[in-house]
Amino acid sequence: MRTRIPLLICLISGVIMFAQYFSRHPVARSIFNNVNEWWQIIFAFTLFVGVMAFAKTSLKKINRSQDSIYQIISLAGLILMPLLAIIGGTKIGSPFLWIFESMIAPMQATVFSLLAFFVASASYRGFRARSVPAAILLVTALIVLIGRIPLSDVLSESLPKLAFWIRDYPSMAARRAILIGIGLGSMTTALRVILGIERTYLRGE
Amino acid sequence: MSKLSTRWIIYAGLAAVVILAYITSIQLDTRPSPQVQKAYNYFENLPESTIIMISFDHEASSLPEIQPITLAILRHAFRRNLRIIGLSLFAEGTAIGYRFMTRVAEEFGKEYGRDYVFLGFKPQHISAILGMGESIIRVFPEDYLGYPADSLPLMRQVYNYNEIEMVISIADGDRGIQWIEYAGAGYNQSIMCGLTAAMVTSYDPYIASGQLYCTVGGLAGAAEYENLFGKKGAGNRGLLAQSMAHIYVIILILIGNVVYFKSRRRRNSGP
Repeated sequence: MRTRIPLLICLISGVIMFAQYFSRHPVARSIFNNVNEWWQIIFAFTLFVGVMAFAKTSLKKINRSQDSIYQIISLAGLILMPLLAIIGGTKIGSPFLWIFESMIAPMQATVFSLLAFFVASASYRGFRARSVPAAILLVTALIVLIGRIPLSDVLSESLPKLAFWIRDYPSMAARRAILIGIGLGSMTTALRVILGIERTYLRGE
Repeated sequence: MSKLSTRWIIYAGLAAVVILAYITSIQLDTRPSPQVQKAYNYFENLPESTIIMISFDHEASSLPEIQPITLAILRHAFRRNLRIIGLSLFAEGTAIGYRFMTRVAEEFGKEYGRDYVFLGFKPQHISAILGMGESIIRVFPEDYLGYPADSLPLMRQVYNYNEIEMVISIADGDRGIQWIEYAGAGYNQSIMCGLTAAMVTSYDPYIASGQLYCTVGGLAGAAEYENLFGKKGAGNRGLLAQSMAHIYVIILILIGNVVYFKSRRRRNSGP
C-alpha cells in the first residue's frame, strides 16, 4: 500500500497530463491551468526550502568558526536584499536596485570574466597535438577561432566560410545526434516513471 | 621558467591586450552575418504598434555580452514604434531587464503601460511559458511595479501568445530552447534569441529545423546589429577587445605546440 498509492497517483497524473496536451476541450484546459499553478506554487516552496538549507549550512559553519566572515556576509545579503525590496521597492532609485547594479552585477561579471584568463592559460598548456585526434581537434578549433574574428577576411576570404561550414555541418550533426538521444532518453524515462518501472523517487522500493 | 611565472606572464599578456584594445579607437569593419541581417530585417518590416515580448533570461555575469545585444534590439524596436512586453524567467534578469527597458524607453519618449510594460519574474520557467499560452494575465496578474496587469492599456489588448508577434529570449543559457520547445512547439509562437557567443552553436539545430527564427549572437552579433541600426555602442567597443583576445589565444596555442614538439624531440634524442 505504501508504494501502490504513490504509483497510482503518478500513473493517473501522467496519463491525464499526457492526454490533455492533445485536447482543446475546456475541461482539459482547466486541468492544465490548475496543475500549472500548483507547479508554480510547489516550486516557490522549493525556493523557500533552498533558502532555509543555505541559512542552516551557513549558521553551522559560523558555529564551527569555519570561514565565518564569508558566511556572515552571505547571510546578511540573504536577509538584507528581500528586506530592502519589501521596504523600498524595486523601482529605479531604490536601494535594492542600487545594490544589485553597483555590487552584485559587477561582482558576477568580474568572476565570470576571470574565465578568460583560465582559458588563455589552458590553451597554452592543454591544447596540444599529442595524437592524431587531438591534432584534428586543434586544427578545427584554430579554423573556427580565426574564422570568427572580423579580421579573418584579411587573411583569406575562405576562412570564415570554412568556419561556418564546420559549424553548419559536422558540429550541427553531432549536436543533433545528442539532442535526439536526449529526447529519446527523456521519453523513455517519462514512460518508465508513469508505468511504475522507474521507482527511484520512492527510494527504489 | 617555472609554471607559475609562465601563468602570470599569460595572464598579464591577456590583460594588456584587452586594455590596449579598449584604449585604442580602431573600428573593425564587420559585415552583417545572415542571422543578424534576418533579425534586423524582421523588425524593420514589422508594422508599427505590433506587440512583441522580450524575455530577459540571463544572469548578471553575462552582462558584458548581453547588454549590447539587448540595447540594440530594444532601440530598434522602440524606433520602429513596436510595443514591448518585458519579463524575466531568470531572477537576476529581472532588475536588469527593467533597467534596460526603462532606459531605452526614456531615450525614445515611450510611455509605461501604453508602449511597454515589464511583468517581472516568474519562478518555474516551463510552467510560466506554458501558462502564458493559455493566459498571460493569469500567469502575471501584476506587473513588476505592482500594478494590476489588466489596468495597463497594453495588457488589455493581449490575452495569450495569439497577440504576440514574436518572443525574443535574451539568454545566456538554455532558456531560449525552452521557449522553442514549449511556446514554439506547443503554441506555434515565433521565437528569436539574443545569445552569448558560447551558446550560439547550441541553438543552430533549431534554426536549421525552422523552430527558431534567428539569433543575434555574442559581441560580434551585437556589433553587426549596431552597425545596421546606425548607432555604434558597447558591441563595437567590446568586439575589438574580444578579437584581440582571440588572436592572443591563437598565438598561445601555437607557442604551446612549438614548445611541446621541441621538448618531445629533446626527450626522444636524449640518452
